[in-house]
Amino acid sequence: MVLLSAQFYCYTVFIYSIMWVSFQLAIIMASLLEKLRILSDAAKYDASCSSSGSKRANTGKGLGNAEGMGICHSYTEDGRCVSLLKILFTNHCIYDCAYCVSRRSNDVKRAAFTVEDVVDLTINFYRRNYIEGLFLSSGIFKNADYTMERLVRVAKLLRNQHNFNGYIHIKAIPGASPELLHEAGLYADRLSVNIEIPSEASLQKVAPEKNYNDIITPMNYLRGAKEKYVDEKPHIKSTPLFLPAGQSTQMIVGASPENDRHILRLADSLYRTQKLKRVYYSGYVPIATDNRVPDLKAPPLVRENRIYQADWLLRFYGFAVDEIVDDKTPDLDLEIDPKLGYALRNPEKFPVDINRADYEMVLRVPGIGVKSAQKIISSRRHQHLHLDHLKKIGVVLKRARYFISCPGLAVKAGSFQAENIRQAIIASDRVPASAQLGLFG
Amino acid sequence: MPAIECLHLPNLVCLGNAMVFIYDGSYEGLLSCIFVIFKERKAPVAICAEERYQFTLLDEITRVTTDEASAARVINGVDERTDSQASPLICKLFLSELPESEMLVYQVIQAIIHKGDASVLENFANPFILKAAQVEKMMHREVHRMHAFVRFQKSKDGIFYAAIDPDFDVLPLIGDHFERRYADQSWLIFDTKRHYGLYYDQDKMTFVDADDPILEINAAALNAVGSEDDSFQDERELEYQALWKNYFHAVNISERNNAKLHLRHVPRRYWKYLTEKRLTH
Repeated sequence: MVLLSAQFYCYTVFIYSIMWVSFQLAIIMASLLEKLRILSDAAKYDASCSSSGSKRANTGKGLGNAEGMGICHSYTEDGRCVSLLKILFTNHCIYDCAYCVSRRSNDVKRAAFTVEDVVDLTINFYRRNYIEGLFLSSGIFKNADYTMERLVRVAKLLRNQHNFNGYIHIKAIPGASPELLHEAGLYADRLSVNIEIPSEASLQKVAPEKNYNDIITPMNYLRGAKEKYVDEKPHIKSTPLFLPAGQSTQMIVGASPENDRHILRLADSLYRTQKLKRVYYSGYVPIATDNRVPDLKAPPLVRENRIYQADWLLRFYGFAVDEIVDDKTPDLDLEIDPKLGYALRNPEKFPVDINRADYEMVLRVPGIGVKSAQKIISSRRHQHLHLDHLKKIGVVLKRARYFISCPGLAVKAGSFQAENIRQAIIASDRVPASAQLGLFG
Repeated sequence: MPAIECLHLPNLVCLGNAMVFIYDGSYEGLLSCIFVIFKERKAPVAICAEERYQFTLLDEITRVTTDEASAARVINGVDERTDSQASPLICKLFLSELPESEMLVYQVIQAIIHKGDASVLENFANPFILKAAQVEKMMHREVHRMHAFVRFQKSKDGIFYAAIDPDFDVLPLIGDHFERRYADQSWLIFDTKRHYGLYYDQDKMTFVDADDPILEINAAALNAVGSEDDSFQDERELEYQALWKNYFHAVNISERNNAKLHLRHVPRRYWKYLTEKRLTH
């Protein structure tokens, strides 16, 4: 009997201990799930998803490779690319920016990862080919350096302990010390400081604790440091990689009154002076009931798309800002793409002779993208191009036909009225504007 | 870059009515065929794999035996003329499995030999070159999709498994990417439609047939890829899958939902092997 009860006792203890362990495991598991839910939900308003442009190769049989083009491993139901594990380290924040879901005064659930949590998630997601790497941002807890130091520690651990060569994008926290920014630049492929609000006056209104100086200072520092490394590289073989994918930033569109011309000029100057690789535009999603920001019914998605198209014209099509938007038309036409808008405002530059015009002019024809323009230039060395060739090459003739001259075109280009072309193209698109989110559809 | 090995064969039916060349279905076989066509100055109407060929009385048939030396001469011949640009293109045309792919290979090779240098590859007013460029783009897109959509699951023996079912036979074209990326883990990608796989043992890649020992040993594991049976998996596998699905749904901004765009990027036919889109678990 004694023996039996002793056995029973042992057995009970054993059962309890198993239950205890699995209970603990369940808590750990549940809390990691919960943290991931909260901290990815809070990070999703950052539009950046790029994982391209780095040169980090896999060396010494490590894990990961960030050399080539970026890859979108999946797309969310809103149609956005999922390329990186995009999370906040924490959504605790000492600031109270009106446009931000994590602002101090907002009543949301708060959470914080540990450095090990983030490293473990990144490695295990990467090994399963879910992601290209990590995009780590954070609310500001305690102060800028305290926050930045944790972000840097994650990147350092991934690179040095786990021999991880995947893509790492870290937020440069405004106000962080140059030493920490420098260290971050050695581990990360890209750093970004978000401008968020496109003018300082508006920023003062919605985020009184922030100022442009705090944003521009880290940008300047990182640009300078990168230039120094790039200069050294040809002379000193051991020069380490420093921010191989450069810097980017984001502006929120529609949370403040700036027009498109203002936004595009700011973007253009950032590309030129700060050598930014990308400026992202995020249509303001009304997340905050705060009277400092407008109470929109829906995010301005069409406007956001038009601004992206204009940004492409700046970066890949050789356009200047003033050719896209000017004093008379400071905002982009929401109904037609900005390249078509340019062509309609400048009828004297058209039609473009497909068999003779310079590449730069061919590129300006609505309906001809970079790839088609290149194909036109290389093919016409071999033979005179006919309308049928253009069609097969991939030129969108329902747009281009009003602006080109080439054999086989039935109606003479240049004989159209701008308004008629505009209406005809709008009618032929006939796609609900909200669905038109591909670039140059 | 390891040599690209072109494996099996297009599912197609050739209906000829004149000079038809028949080969054994291998890449080398096709090239051997083209060697004979050039040597004997023939003008083929169709080139067809033996197992797809359907006899008609009008056909004048030539069966060509595969000869590696002839195949190599064809490839070397086009590569010498094009700074080695042509052979990767030709291999992709073959792997596309399109009904007209063999004739297209022949027509592109003919255009290269006729012109004598690589510049012909830039003349998109030539219908064969244009078609080849379009097929290449199509293949490139499928390769890129596989780079994106492969989902590994870690098994008890530590190997990372993935099943794929691509529109074209792209497995021979995606290995390098995964070798560079996952140099420190063993992985196996299996094409469930074409029944062969690519296995990497942290040293080298090898193509494996469905009856290869590595598959036999792990058959249960492979069968379970994409199913609800988790008995073969690493103990933390389901946890990471749950975390990933949780993440995938949390980053969506429902105010911006756009089902059409979502489907354009992630067509439904790829869902069955996508952890985050699968309905099970």
